[in-house]
Amino acid sequence: MIGLGHYILLSGILFSIGVVGVITSRSVLKILLSLELLLAASNLSFVAFSKFNGDYTGQLIVFFVILVAAAEVAIGLAIVVLMFRHFSTIQADELKDMKW
Amino acid sequence: MSSFFFYIFAIILVLASLAVVLARNPLYNVLSLVVVIFALSSLFMILEAFFVGIILSLVYAGAVLVFFLFVVMCLNLSTPTLTTVQQNRFQLLGWLAGLMLLAEFFLATKAFLAAQAMQPVSEIRGTIEAIGKILFADYLLPFELTSLLLLIAIFGIVSLAKGALKTQ
Repeated sequence: MIGLGHYILLSGILFSIGVVGVITSRSVLKILLSLELLLAASNLSFVAFSKFNGDYTGQLIVFFVILVAAAEVAIGLAIVVLMFRHFSTIQADELKDMKW
Repeated sequence: MSSFFFYIFAIILVLASLAVVLARNPLYNVLSLVVVIFALSSLFMILEAFFVGIILSLVYAGAVLVFFLFVVMCLNLSTPTLTTVQQNRFQLLGWLAGLMLLAEFFLATKAFLAAQAMQPVSEIRGTIEAIGKILFADYLLPFELTSLLLLIAIFGIVSLAKGALKTQ
């Protein structure tokens, strides 16, 4: 029988993989993708808690998280495109200018 | 039966999310995130969160990841200079941090005895009707505020694009 612990552990595994991606990757695009993994992990635990706790609030929070993530990705990718035009690279550790 | 499907989708989820982090080609990273989103959406279906699962696959796989793919192809990132193996200073640190976090999650889940006793509540079925009733009654203000947030995001993107056009 699948309990709440299974879902929480799965979400923890997903979150850890996302953290590894955020720290180890050099390209800004991959960092953004790993951030999506982090959001997906938290969404999974919200839905699991909602189902096992008998409360719809978790699912509503997931709905809002999806909306905010869509806005975040749109702005983030716009910045990535601008960065590529200006520096012709998207490697995060080659950005040393504080101002352009 | 549902536990069988849980394990199937959990394995797909973990493997695909590892591919998001480990694959060298940025195109494969984005496409594995599509697989992650579909597996997650299936898990939501098992948890009977139908509306959120559909919204997740529509918004993420349909809009956000297409946007990612568009940017990857627009920037032409599969040139060899960008995808070659480059040693990152933080490689070891990142894996250590991830493993420590994983161990911490494992221990916390083990110690969380209240969670193991909890049973799924069968009345909770996240249909459009159930979610809509709460969304438009108790959470109306946050819902309206997200529309403001999306408007501000549009303004931000347009001003970024206009600034880029001016400097050229």
